[in-house]
Amino acid sequence: MENVFLKNSHLGAFLETLRLFGELHGPTISDNGVAAFAALDDAAALRLDYRRTLIPPKKYLLPFREEILQLRDGIYHAAAPPGRDIVLFGVHPCDLEGIAYLDRVFLGDRPDPCYAARRARLTLVGISCEPDDFCFCSAPPEAAPCDLYLSALDDGFLTRPSTPKGEAIARAAHDLLTEAAPASAGPCRTACRIRPQDPQLRFSDNPLWDRFAQLCLACGACSVCCPTCYCFDVREYPGLAGDGARLREWDNCLFKMHGEVAGANFRTSRLERLRYRFLHKYCGFSPLEGVVSCVGCGRCKEACPVDIDLRELIETAPPEGDPT
Amino acid sequence: MMAETPDPHLPHAATLLDRRELSADTALFRVAPEPSALKALSRFIPGQFVQLSVPGAGEIPISPADLPGTDGILELCVRRVGHVTKLLHAARPGQRLGIRGPFGTGFPIREMAGSPVLLLAGGLGIAPLRSLLFHLLRHREAFGEITLMYGARQPELMLFRDELVGLAAQGVLRLYLTVDFAPQESAGDFSCAVGLLPDLLKGFSFDAARSYAALCGPPALYRCLVSELERAGVEAGRILLSLERRMRCGIGRCCHCAVGQKLCCLDGPVFRLSDLKQIPEAL
Repeated sequence: MENVFLKNSHLGAFLETLRLFGELHGPTISDNGVAAFAALDDAAALRLDYRRTLIPPKKYLLPFREEILQLRDGIYHAAAPPGRDIVLFGVHPCDLEGIAYLDRVFLGDRPDPCYAARRARLTLVGISCEPDDFCFCSAPPEAAPCDLYLSALDDGFLTRPSTPKGEAIARAAHDLLTEAAPASAGPCRTACRIRPQDPQLRFSDNPLWDRFAQLCLACGACSVCCPTCYCFDVREYPGLAGDGARLREWDNCLFKMHGEVAGANFRTSRLERLRYRFLHKYCGFSPLEGVVSCVGCGRCKEACPVDIDLRELIETAPPEGDPT
Repeated sequence: MMAETPDPHLPHAATLLDRRELSADTALFRVAPEPSALKALSRFIPGQFVQLSVPGAGEIPISPADLPGTDGILELCVRRVGHVTKLLHAARPGQRLGIRGPFGTGFPIREMAGSPVLLLAGGLGIAPLRSLLFHLLRHREAFGEITLMYGARQPELMLFRDELVGLAAQGVLRLYLTVDFAPQESAGDFSCAVGLLPDLLKGFSFDAARSYAALCGPPALYRCLVSELERAGVEAGRILLSLERRMRCGIGRCCHCAVGQKLCCLDGPVFRLSDLKQIPEAL
């Protein structure tokens, strides 16, 4: 489908149309002033001028804690398929890239049933953004992976459906949309592509490592707020009569116990744990080796209580193939 | 619509058949999985691991101590050290359990055919190597000389001793046992060297250039053994180490078992030394 145009004055009606496709969620400001994706019972709560939410939209696909198995009479059963129809409105390109990365992790050759169930029922409506000083995304906005993408212009939104779901929405909202000439949104002005990093950089004698390690509080905020951090722990919660559940919960590689094995710990120091996070984020593990999972949303930099910015390390490292 | 795929988290039901005490805190559990698990288990390669569930307690990665029989029965050698293993040790025959797997890569048994094999086990590390040993013995003609060096802290912690001594007596393998400490009163109980495994290896002459070495034991042991093996002339690509990490999911997602950029549950737990050299935190 071609680009269509949604006038600002039709936004309210458009949001009501979106409710036909599921529970409407979008960026809001919580009671304590934190930007958060939440249910839009009242569309007036929508805050399209948000910079970034504290918790990324991964919470819709990987809840902090979720049941993966049920235990009844000592026998494990698959958890009931989770999820409900949700339309997540107003997601920035960086967060859409984050979801696309999680899709690669959880919908590969052995799809994760819980993730797949939630993902199938999640409709993503992306929106262009105004970068701030923390942003360093490299996502070309016109390619943001979502069902429907809105590029904000002065008097409305250039609207581009890119999946059958997105087209169904555009059809349902037909009366609200007008024809528009295809126009490409200009490249994001922060665009600076993050290249895969040399894994050996984590063992370099770059003094930044030591400085970061001295500063790091191992609070784990960078990982909690990261749209692509998905490490999880698996825990068993037994009931009293042979019942119970197996849950998975977000884990955090900045925490000491993440590297524990029987009788040893492979990452006892903060330096080692920072390097581990760097390795996963910028070099990738096993099936996704070489895939950068940092989407440049800037959350970790903004959330870090001691202003650690891993980007400094990347930028001060000699670029690939530098003859000097 | 997405095709129905089996839930990778869901264990196959299994039943505890019996147990045999091996030491004060370690026992060999025989576990019979439901027929649904047999297809996957029939492809088991020594060195791979299964995820064993104890309902209500949780799940742990265990490398079987023998090849599963055609009936799928698994022998799991488990030390009582944590929550799950404590409840397993308290379980009675008939207890319901769960099995997922096998997962990971095992020892490169095809590639090892025709070569002499040196097995080096420390403590509980004998368990995964026992399944490799049984594979080698079942295909005895396909392999060169088989040597097992097994070190335990003290005589009463040596697992499978009678069984191993019996096999050595048949002449199918060369067996060297050593303990770190031998209390006076146990002297004469059985014969074995007193000393560390690397010391035992120092005085050992073998066809190093053609040999494969398979190692399983505590991390500290690897560092000493590896340098000794390389000094003797074993190629780094033929030094095979079974690494211990805390695999939670077993399918490459939870990220608890990363070794450098590799995941122990997918790319391991058996690694070649040559692949670990660039990863300082591996050993």
